[in-house]
Parts: sequence; C-alpha cells; structure tokens
Amino acid sequence: MKIWQRAFMLTVVPAATALAALLHQPDFPQPTPHHFTKIDYNGNPLPHWSGPWACVCDQRTGLLWEVKTDSETIHDGLWTYSWYQENDGEFVAASSNPGTPTNGLGRDTFNIGTPNNGDCYFEDERCDTADLIRRTRKEQLCGEQNWRLPTTGELHSLVFTDAKAGQPKIDTAYFPKTKRGDYWTSEQGESLQKVYKHLRRGALAVSFVDGQSITIPHRNAAFVRLVTENSKSCH
Amino acid sequence: MTTNRKSLRWILLHSGAGLAVICSLLTGLRIASLARPQVARFEELLPQGQVIELHFASAVAITLIVLIYIAYRLIGGRRAAGHAQVLQWPGWHRAIIRAGYPLLLLSLVSGWLLFAGGARGVRDLHYLAAFGVLVYLALHAGLYLARWGRQSLLRIALPYWGPRSLRRWMVGSTLLVFSVLLFTGVWSATREQSHLPLTVTHIPLLHPEHPPMAIDGRTDEPQWQGAAPITVYTDGGANFDEGETEVTLRALSNGEEFYLAVRWRDDTESLAHLPLMKTERGWQVQQQGFHNFDETRHYEDKFAVLLSSSCTFGAAGTTHLGRKPLKDRPANWHGKGYHYSSNGQLHDLWHWKAVRTNDMFLADDNFIGPPDQARPGERRYTAGYQQDGKESGAYVMNWQWYKPGVILPKRLPPDPKQLAALQSAGGDASEWVIPWFDYKPYSPKQDANYPEGTVMPSVIYNSNRFEGDRADVRARGYWQDGYWHLELARKLVTGSPLDVPINDGTCLWVSAFDRAQVAHTRHTRAIRLNFAPENSR
Repeated sequence: MKIWQRAFMLTVVPAATALAALLHQPDFPQPTPHHFTKIDYNGNPLPHWSGPWACVCDQRTGLLWEVKTDSETIHDGLWTYSWYQENDGEFVAASSNPGTPTNGLGRDTFNIGTPNNGDCYFEDERCDTADLIRRTRKEQLCGEQNWRLPTTGELHSLVFTDAKAGQPKIDTAYFPKTKRGDYWTSEQGESLQKVYKHLRRGALAVSFVDGQSITIPHRNAAFVRLVTENSKSCH
Repeated sequence: MTTNRKSLRWILLHSGAGLAVICSLLTGLRIASLARPQVARFEELLPQGQVIELHFASAVAITLIVLIYIAYRLIGGRRAAGHAQVLQWPGWHRAIIRAGYPLLLLSLVSGWLLFAGGARGVRDLHYLAAFGVLVYLALHAGLYLARWGRQSLLRIALPYWGPRSLRRWMVGSTLLVFSVLLFTGVWSATREQSHLPLTVTHIPLLHPEHPPMAIDGRTDEPQWQGAAPITVYTDGGANFDEGETEVTLRALSNGEEFYLAVRWRDDTESLAHLPLMKTERGWQVQQQGFHNFDETRHYEDKFAVLLSSSCTFGAAGTTHLGRKPLKDRPANWHGKGYHYSSNGQLHDLWHWKAVRTNDMFLADDNFIGPPDQARPGERRYTAGYQQDGKESGAYVMNWQWYKPGVILPKRLPPDPKQLAALQSAGGDASEWVIPWFDYKPYSPKQDANYPEGTVMPSVIYNSNRFEGDRADVRARGYWQDGYWHLELARKLVTGSPLDVPINDGTCLWVSAFDRAQVAHTRHTRAIRLNFAPENSR
C-alpha cells in the first residue's frame, strides 16, 4: 500500500466513524411488552407510558381492574369501606342505616355485613362496599357494568413481591394510589380469630403490606379494588 | 528490520503511555460529556460505566510514566534513543513530537489542579489540553502509520532481542517490578489518602446556656461558632456561573444527632418548579427538558448529600456514566448515566428540594443501592437511586398525567386571586406550594375563570410532611443575597436498613442544583468526616 493510500485510510476511517457517531444518535427508551394494559375511562387501550387511565386489563387472567386515583371521585384511593352485601348477592341501593342490627353471623334477613362504616366523601352517610359497586356500575367505568369485589385468588394475582422499599406489594406503575393496607375480597363467612373472635365471622381481605390474606370483621374500614370479567376491553 | 527495533524498556514505556493516554482521553471525554453537549454528540464512541476511577488511575499512570521517562532520558536513554533512530523523518515531525510534551504537561498539570480542588477556568484548560493531545496523537501515530505502515507497528511492539547479560536482565526486571509497585502504591495513596477532612465538632447534648439546635437554615446558635468550615469547589452543573459554585460545610454532633450547615453561591432563587401556564389550548407544563428528565430551566433549586462508608472516587463508586451502562437494564433518557451500587453496598442520599421538601422542613431521605429491576410501566428507570419507604405524606404534581402538550390539572384554586402573587413578581417559596385543601378538584367550570397566561404552581402537599423512614433527615434552607443557606440534621444511627450510620470516617459528597433536575455540580475528592473527641472544646 502506498503512502497516499495509507494516509487516505487513516483519514477517512476515523472521520467516517466520527461522522457516523455524530449523525446516529441513540434511540430513546421504548416500553417493553407487559401483561398489564392501561384502559382509559371509555374502555379504550392505551400505550404503556400513556395516561391517564381508569382501569387495567391483566392479560394473564382476562380480568379488568379498577384503578384508584386522588381525584376525590368515587375511585379515590383514600376511601375505605365496610364489607356489606345486600339481598344475598344482589348489590342494590343501600337502604340500611349505620348500625342495622345483624344476627350473630353478621347477617340480617337479606343482607350480609355492616353497612356504612367506611370513610368517603361521595355518600351522604359513610361508605360500604355495596355503595362503590352500585355507583361504579352506574357510571359504567371503562364501559363495563358488572363490577364486583374480587375473589381472594383474583386479588392475589395482583400481589407483586418485588415492590420498592416501603411501597405496597403491587405494581404501582399500573396501580397508583394503592395503600399499604387491607383490600376486601368477595369471600365472607370466615371464622374470625384472636381479638375479633367474639364477632364470630368476617370477610377475607388481602393485605398489600405483605401480600397475605387475612380475615377481618365486616365492620372494619378497608380499601376496595373492584374487578370485572368478560369485559369488552380485556379478553 | 531488527536494527530498527526499540529496546524493551522503551516499548514498555511507550506502550504504557499510549494506553494510559488513550484511556484518559476516552474516559475524560465521557466525563466532559456531562456538561458539554458537543462532546455528548459523540457518546457512542465513548466508554460507559465507572469511568471516573479509570480516568484517575490513567492520570496516575501517565504521571509516573512521564517521571520515569525523564529519569530514563537523564540517566542514559538519550544516548540509546539516538542510536536507535533509524527511521528518518523530516524536522516537522520531530516538531510534532516536541509539541506533544507541553500539551501532555498542560493536561497533567490542569488535571491535578482539578483534583487538588479546582479553580475557575482550569476545567476549560484541561479540556483544551485534552483536545490538543488528541490532535497530537492523530498526527503522531497517523504520520508514522501513513509513512511506514505495519513496519511502524512492529517497531513499537517488538523489542530488539539481542544478547543480554544476566545483570541487564536483573536490572530490567527490578525496574519493572519497581514501576508496578510504584504505580500500585501511588494509586493506593491517591485513593485512600486524598480525602478532604471535615471536622465534626462535638457539642453537648444539653447545654445550660445554649438553646437547642433549631433546624431553620440559620446558623446563629452559639454551637455553630466552634465548627470549622471547609470549602469545596464544585463544577459541571447546569446554570450557576459557568456551572461552578463553591460549597462551604460545617458539621456538629452531640453524640445522638449529626448537624450539617451548608452554604453555596447561587445568584438566583429558583422556586418555579415546572409551573403550569394556561394557554389557548389549555394548561401546559412549562419545561424544556423535563420530558427527557433533564430539565434545566423551569425547576427548583436543590442540594444533595451522599453519605457512605466507602470513600471510592465517583461518589463511592456509584457513578456510572453513559446512556446504558447496564446492558440488561433500560437506557436513560438524557445520556448522562445512573447512580447505583455495583457491589451490593447501600449508600445514603439526602435530597433537599427548595419547593418540594423545604416547607416540610425535611430533605428527601433516599438511598443508592444495587440497580433496581426494570419496571415496564415506568417510563423513567433510576437504577440504584431509590426513595426510603414512608408511612404517609407526600407531594404530588398538579397534573392528572404529564404530557408535553396540554394537561388537565388535578386541582384548581377556587378563587383566581389565590394566584395573583405568582403572575408578576414570582411569589415567595410558600406560594409555589399548594396545600391540598386550599384547591378544589378540577372542573371545566372553574377552569373557565382563568384567563390565558395564568401561571399556577404544580407542587401539591397532600399532607404536611413525610412520615416514616423517608422523613429521617430534617432540613431547612433559605436564600439570601446570592447564597443558599441550608441546615440538615439526622440521627447518627437511625436503625433503618436503608440509612448509613454516620461515624468517624464516613465519607460524603455534595452536589448543588441550580434550577436543574439532574445536572448537578460535583467534586472529585470525598469529604471524610473526622469526629473530634468530646473534650476538644
């Protein structure tokens, strides 16, 4: 190779490399596929890093989940609810007053649990699970009407053990405003233990402090995340 | 060709110098890319990761090689080199080689001056010298390669292999071992003995004549009078005056708590943290880099203190520069890098924010640990930089979801007069924080009361302050006459697994942010806490 050829190579190769580096800027990060999909208020899917969103579809289970907010609407994550079910499974307008007498099983003639013993802004009286279900169905959150309390197994499917320090055991990037506390399930009639033993039976909740199930009295004020299946936006 | 060969010692010195200079240049340019966007444009050619320690190690190597070379030439190398000069060159190439010496010297002197403490303009001089060395390398190596091709490579790689006496072997081997030991010793001394000592003056837990320490940013308590200050030159940040500011530190301890008083120059008090502005289309977040997590205009002032039992260069070895220093983790948006621990060790990070935490009388108690797992739902990956847990309390931003375009605020003030102070003068610190219940949930009807051009704060306190682990560091700052004054306090031992106990030998690093999200100033040498004995006062 002649001198001019070597000189050409020694000039062109570094210059071309520098020019290529200058012209080719690295791509910005892109989202990776995930089993959760954000769903907007009207039931339309959103890209992973978009928002705001009102529901999350879990592709693994086909369940559509309510997402909590800090908007002071009925979906605010701060609101708590006592466990209450009207007409043995039919969730309709609450008619009972706080302190409605129940029998020893936490059940009156038609209803189960304790009405109006949680804290929220959206009811004239205090709140129970039937209130949130009734209102969420009425507003057709994410285009759905069949909102209900999740089973223990369904709620456990959201437990995320790799949560950051001090955060609830859930993927907070999809489920913000989740509290480190107990979330009601639909399963009730379980025997209460220890200090609650005298109340005989309560309902199951999942604690997002540690991801474990716990039976607590219906009268307790716990958090709620509703779920629906066979939804149009999650199947 | 054999007659063209260099001696083994020349080849060792030349190769060592070449490798160290190239390493120093590449790592130095990566460091420079933090504050020089024109260098960042070539980021794909630059190394990533823990380059800071590598940069200092190469500087030590170059310095020692230069000294050894001078000794070599003085003792007899000049004669040997003269004999070995077989390739004939015109005088101008000799001039290029000669020009390399002062450039290298300038680079070394400016670099060590920066290491010693820095001063205005030295960073620029170091940067220019580095570019001079880069040009020198290109001309020096390029001309040899162009003129002699492979022959020149063989000449600098393969030594003359003639008969040598046992004595020469012994002397050569001894010199080589001595050089390696010298490098190891000097590097070890540089790493272990270069810290800036900060005396932690002991004060009594209770003093009959002294008031209790108030964390208010004002060091007017008599206890502070006995604290010896040190001043640390920091640079490389966004804004400030040429990106530089000097930070003065004083420290006290009463055996239970550690107090740190900080003062740094910042010509402007920046409190407008990503403010919202009403436009023709709706509310917009004022930003020019926040979308890529590198805001440098519409942001609050901040200050950070990193504490660690490790005193390793690069903020206890947590600084990993580059867009993607972790192959199996997401890249960062700004290309600057991540903080994380690569050996599992946990480091403490106190992050005081002029708006988001100052009214809580707290610094955000964070930590730097091993790189977090990638979380698909989070647009920003922060590697090892994480927050301690909290029981309650927080600030939230006044938008339902951030977008570069129009956003919907979470809350609006019921009366437009509540924003009056912010529309012209800018308002004081308290007006840039929204107490949750002073505003109401957003409604289009209420929104109609706000004309275009209205400016609204974006930081909402939804309770008074953090509670729990994240609230371990009390802090309060105030700005006056071009300086921030900040007072921080924390228990020496909190008991939290996410906090580093503070004791004699703990190292810390400080960084100031002038309306910048991540572009902070930095310093080279760790500040090492030296707890004074209790009876020293």
